[in-house]
Order: sequence, then C-alpha cells, then structure tokens
Amino acid sequence: MEQLKQLKQYFRPEQLRELSLIVLIALIFLFFGSQIEGYFSPRIFNRVTSDVAIIAVVALGETLVLLTRNYDLSVGSIVGLTAFFVGKQLTAYPDMQPILAMLLAIGAGSCLGLINGLLVSYGRIPSIIVTLGTMAIYRATLVAYPGNKMVVINDLPGWITELGSRQLFSIGEFSIRPVVVGGLVMFIIFQFVTSYLRFGRRLYAIGSNPEAARIGGLPSHRIVLLAFILCGAIAGLAGFLYLVRYGNLNTAAANGMELKVIAAAVVGGISTNGGKGAIMGALLGALMINLLQQSLLRWLVISNFWVDALLGLLILIAVIIDSVIINRLSDLWNRQDQEINPVDEKKVIKEKKSHAA
Amino acid sequence: MTTSVEAKAPVLQMRHVSKRFDTTQALDDVSLDLYPGEIHALMGENGAGKSTLIKIMTGVYHSDSGEILLDGKPIRVANSVDAQAYGIGAIYQEPMVYPDLNVAENIFISHRSQGVIVNWRKMYQDAEKILAKLDVKLDVRLPARGLTLAAQQTIEIAKAISLNVRVLIMDEPTASLSAHEAEQLFNLARSLRDQGVSILYISHRMEEVFEIADRVTIFRDGKRISTLPRMEVTRDSAIRDMVGRKIEDFFAKSAGQRGEQLMSVRGFNKDNVFSDINFEVYRGEVLGFAGLVGSRRTDVGLALFGVEPADSGEIILDGKAEKIRSPEQALRLGIAYMTEDRRQIGLTMPMSITSNISLPMLRQYLSRFGLIQTREEEATANHYRERLSIRTPSIQHPVAMLSGGNQQKVMLSKWLNTRPQILILDEPTRGIDVGAKAEVHHIINELAAQGLGIILISSDMPEILAMSDRILVMREGRQMGVFTREEATQETILTAAMGQNSGATKAV
Repeated sequence: MEQLKQLKQYFRPEQLRELSLIVLIALIFLFFGSQIEGYFSPRIFNRVTSDVAIIAVVALGETLVLLTRNYDLSVGSIVGLTAFFVGKQLTAYPDMQPILAMLLAIGAGSCLGLINGLLVSYGRIPSIIVTLGTMAIYRATLVAYPGNKMVVINDLPGWITELGSRQLFSIGEFSIRPVVVGGLVMFIIFQFVTSYLRFGRRLYAIGSNPEAARIGGLPSHRIVLLAFILCGAIAGLAGFLYLVRYGNLNTAAANGMELKVIAAAVVGGISTNGGKGAIMGALLGALMINLLQQSLLRWLVISNFWVDALLGLLILIAVIIDSVIINRLSDLWNRQDQEINPVDEKKVIKEKKSHAA
Repeated sequence: MTTSVEAKAPVLQMRHVSKRFDTTQALDDVSLDLYPGEIHALMGENGAGKSTLIKIMTGVYHSDSGEILLDGKPIRVANSVDAQAYGIGAIYQEPMVYPDLNVAENIFISHRSQGVIVNWRKMYQDAEKILAKLDVKLDVRLPARGLTLAAQQTIEIAKAISLNVRVLIMDEPTASLSAHEAEQLFNLARSLRDQGVSILYISHRMEEVFEIADRVTIFRDGKRISTLPRMEVTRDSAIRDMVGRKIEDFFAKSAGQRGEQLMSVRGFNKDNVFSDINFEVYRGEVLGFAGLVGSRRTDVGLALFGVEPADSGEIILDGKAEKIRSPEQALRLGIAYMTEDRRQIGLTMPMSITSNISLPMLRQYLSRFGLIQTREEEATANHYRERLSIRTPSIQHPVAMLSGGNQQKVMLSKWLNTRPQILILDEPTRGIDVGAKAEVHHIINELAAQGLGIILISSDMPEILAMSDRILVMREGRQMGVFTREEATQETILTAAMGQNSGATKAV
C-alpha cells in the first residue's frame, strides 16, 4: 500500500497520456514501416525530423500562450512573414552574419507577438479575435512586401543551404541536422522555464484560475503579454529555421501552419482551457501529427485528400480522451489519496470546553 | 482572550469610510478598529454593507471618503497586491485555488520573496512546515483539483500565513463545510488569533459567532450599529440591532380574498441544496420567501421552474402530481419565473422591447408559413407598455437603453405574456429606484387581485413584510417555518432565518 502510494506520487494520470503517445508513435512507425517500401530510409527520416523540428518549435511557443487560456492563431503568418523578411534581407545583404540573421528573425517575431499581446492583455480583446485579425494582417504584410513575391534559394548566401543539409552527427546511417538539434535545445530550455522559473509556474496559475490570479495579486497582464511576445519570438526563430529548411519561399509560406501547431499541442495534452499540459507533450504531439501526415502522404491506400480530415479527427479524439478518460482518472487518483486530517478529536473537545466556559 | 484586547494598539482602523453605488449608500461613515489577537465577528442582514467593507479592505473597491490606518498610519489599498503587501488577506466561501497547481505551489505562487527560479524541494519543505504548524496533514504534492472544499480552504489559510498576514478576513468560510470540517477551521482560526493575527469573521450563523468571536460588530443599512465584547451580546440584542429598518415608501399589499389552492409542494428535495420544503400557493395570494444569503431560496424557485429540477418531492397542480423537468413543461403548467439576474439571463439586452416580450411565446406569433407576425407582436408589446406603464420612446427601443425599473417591467411583461397561474418573482426590485419599486409593488398587488398566485423571493425585509400574505423562511436549504401576516415581524423572520424555530407555526 505504501509503495503504491509512493508510485502514485511520482506517476500521475496526465503522464499516462505522454506514455500512450510514445506507444502510438511507435505503432504508427511500425505499421507504416510494414506498408511502405523504404520507409526506414535516411531520406524519409530527414524529412520527418526537419519538419517536426519546425512544427514542434512553433507548438512550443503556442503552448506558452495556450497555458494562459489564450490562443495565438497568427503563428503561421508570423513564421511566413519572418522567413520571407529575413530571406529578402539576406538576398539584399548576402554578407550578413548567420547569427545576425537569426536574431533578426527572432526580433521581428517578438515585435509581432508584442502587438498581439498588447491587444489581448491591455486592450482586453479576446485573443482568438485579436490573432484572427493579425493572422490576416501579417499575411497581407508579407504579400505587400516590396519587390518580387519570391525568395529564391540561389540568391541566398551559401551558408543557408549548407546549414539546411549539413550533418552535425549521425546515428547509424541517420544524420542529425542543425535544425533538429536547434529544436531540441529549445525544448530543453522551455521545459526548464515552465517547471523551474517563477514565470513558467505563473503561466499555469493564470490559465488555471484567472479570477484567483487577479485577486491573488499576480501580475496577470504582464505575464500574458510576455507569453505572447515569447510565442512571437519563438515563431520568429521557427521562421528562420523554415528559411534554412526550404530556401525557396513564396507568399504562401507556412500558410495554415497554426492548425497543425494547435493540433500538435492539443494532441500532446495541452488543454485549451489553460493551465494544463507539459511542454514535452507538445513535442510528442508534433512528432505524432507529422509522422502520421508524412506517412499518409506516402501510403497509396488513402487519397491525399483525406489527410487533413484525419488530422482534424485526431484533434477531436485527443480532446475527447482528455475530457473523458484523463479527467476521470485524475479524479479517481485524487479521491483515493486525499486525506486531510484530522485534528485530534480529544483536543477539539477540550478546546470547545475551554471556550464554552 | 476576550479581556483587554483593547489595551493593545489596533492593527487596522477604518475611519469614516463611505461608499455609494448609484442609488444605494452601501457604507455610510463606518469606523471599525481591529486589534491584534482578536476574532472580530461582523454580522448584519443582506445588504448591510459587510461585503462592501471587506472589498474596500482588500482593494477590490475604493471608498468614496474616509481612510484606512495600519498601525496608526494611513495607507492606500489600491488593489489586491497592495492589500497583500500590507498583510491583509481574505478567504472566501468558495476557495480561490489554482486547480492545476499542487498544494505547495498554491501556497507560494503569489509570493514576491520567492526567487525567479523555483526551488521545488525547499518549497515542499516550507509548505509541509506551515501545514504542520496548522496541525493539518495534507500531501503537498497533490494538485488542488479534486481536493475537498475544506482542504482547499486550508490551503488558503496556509497561504495567508505564509504571507505573514496581520489581518485575515474570513467571509462565510464555513458555509459549505461539514460540522467536523468547520470545527477544524475554528481551531485554525483560534491558533492564528493566539499568534497575534487579527481575524475579521463574517457569518450568518449565530451559534458560530458565539462560539469563536471575541467581539461582535453589527452593521445595518451601511452603518455600524454596535461593537461589543461577545459576553455582552445576546441573541436577542444582536437580532434587535440587525433589524429595525424603517418601513416606509411601501405600498402594502391590500388583504385580498384568498381563492382556491393553485399549487401544493410536498417534500421538495434536491440533494445538497435544499430538503423537505412544503408549502401551498393560493389564488390571489403573495407567498413571501425570506432568508439570508445561502438560504437557497432561489434554488427552490429554479427547481419549481424546471431549470434545476428537484430530485424528489411532488408538486400538485390542479389535483395532479407533476414532476417538473424543464422550463417548457413549467410554462405549459402555468408557472413562470422571473430571474433576479436581469442583465445576464433575464433579458436580451441589445434586442428590442417587443422581441424580448414575445421571446418565450414566439410560436404564437408565427404565421402559417413560419414567419413572425410583427404586427401582433407589437400589439402585445403595446398592451404591456400601457398596462405596466413602461416608459420608453418606442417599443422598438433596445432594452439596454431603459432604466432598471423599466427593464424590470419588460421582464415582467415577458412572463405575464405566458399567461401564468403562478408567478415566481426573484428579487423583483433589486437595484431599481424607489419610485420604480413602488410601481412594481403596485403591479404585484394588482396581479394578485386578478387571481394570480405569486411567490415573492426577496432579501429586502421591509418589502417582504409589506407585500406578503404569508412568509416562508429558509435557512441553508431548510424550511424554518411559515408565518402569517400577523405573526411576521422583522424580529421573528430574522430569528428564524438565523436558525431559531421559535414562534414558527406549521404551514398554514
């Protein structure tokens, strides 16, 4: 019994979701491995990992916003706009340092996030409306960008292509690219931020009970603003990774990415009601969604037409699992070991007597 | 402990604090001293100004005039952050916890002194220390979601202690606790008091106040009436101080002829909400429902109208026992319910007077092709505009533009238009001015004279006394008695509402 209790302390139903995601990912992998010829090839591995890295990084930023019980629908446009903007700058100034180009992307993303955040936290406009608006505005800005409507890889400095295809190290015949390593580093940083920084814990607090946060004296406005700025900055970084990964861009770059990103977060257990979910869940969610999508595209049994529908279905299933199974399990968990106890009965009686006197 | 608290210097003083909302003077030149190491009970009827006072102390509201002194020095409490910094904390009936955070985090999340990086191990240890000091065993790693209300309240108290509160406001903290849990809470309160914390304890439960308070302050109509050591307060003196509102400006109900029985409710019960409610409603009669906050009068109204159906008990209408499961069914049976919350659920603010009135009966206004016949709709609206004298430039005016009193009349029209036999009115005059109030009373009178059975739920004691033929008093979901017009006085009603059955007769 005691052991069970200890086990319960370290293992909670929420983790069951992460565990089952890992199992599901493995199953998807094995299933398609048996269906698609050459599935385990380095080429597919590279494709999937690079794509996952970008989606997962954006999902990471989105998660920060979701935790506060807000949405950011403009992330796809931010990724597209920053990628395009930095691509144009690099075309114009090919001598720019790679690090500077990256900082430029992050800076541009932060500014866009700042606009979202100010409107939401100080303008008191619901985030879904604000970011629906800025999603369109940021995309329009990209289309209206002066000059021709393309970024072409041949006009970009050589290090971009180099960075995109370079092998940092390899596991067997599978090479690991900088984009993937960059994504992983981000996850490690933000796993730390959300579990060990005061700011991170306050994200959870605000999403968990906004009213209590207000009455309890948490600086809610500032924290929500910061979440949006970080989300923008991270989307900016993802824009840079996007440029590195693809090189050739048109005005539809990263169009519709917000759907995939939110799907990844939700499938990974981040609650759209805020306050719930782990950063690593978003990574697993992104991995699962991308793996499934890439595999379905190559699986000739199902028409590509259905891939998006399947993604949508997956989101719904994830939400249902969340609201039905996980919540019920958590209740069970809590009920069993909750036990606020008991002041000593004798003492109560004694006190009562002394006060009655 | 009751002796000589006043020998020490007060920790917090309210000096000549006043606060006005539109037409009501919520606080009128109130002064109150809180001393370290005392449990100071604050009592008063609904609307006496208790909540306003604590909201000013915690920075939710700002007073119009007057000042707050801490250790003799004036302070400005602009918001909850300030209150926290000054050591003023509050716990409420519904604990304000973060369900997704664990116990320890809930205690420490709003601490400024905690560094930027969370030291989990230290936080758990500190949380355990505080809980140990409170003599409470609670796993600090459990998330707050799913903990009992008592446990959640313990978290709030632990949080207050960790913030070194000097003044702790407890607003009806035992309202949703079991007797055993409440006893634990009292022990916590006493041990805090013994450590020098000043506790402002707000409660409607007389026996509780007598059990733990050192001093008792009574508010009435936004004024402080008395502050006395507990030993000098008796139940009767407390009740006397709480009532005594002047009855004026009231259009007393004319004693009409009581007609046949319209409805009989037997053993009405909803688990954990109310139980064993029995009463009858007669044609031409106003049955008042009195009680304090948390007495569950509104829940009985909602159950009768089928919004939140009761679990058991029967409603006999026209000699037939009915189970009301939905508002549609209630309307068919001739019951209408006018909510107390006209802004949120009573009216559709941006829509016109006409559309609001016809809404529940829209089917009657449909033509053969399913289109709304606006001319008939307007005829109805005009009819009520005249009958209830709704003052408006036109019946197409959005209700949001009307005064509170006129909005109330629109809501009344809407439900009268359903042709009810029984009309339940929940706080029909709350937040409207004196003139409109008198008009509403006049309308109620007329409706009763026309043969409707009216259930009047009201927190306004003079109103209920003046308007009702009989008064049913509830307390915490239980029926405390039914009083006839002759038996009912402010004292008898309040005594019953606070938990004493004396003088109550059985249902008439």
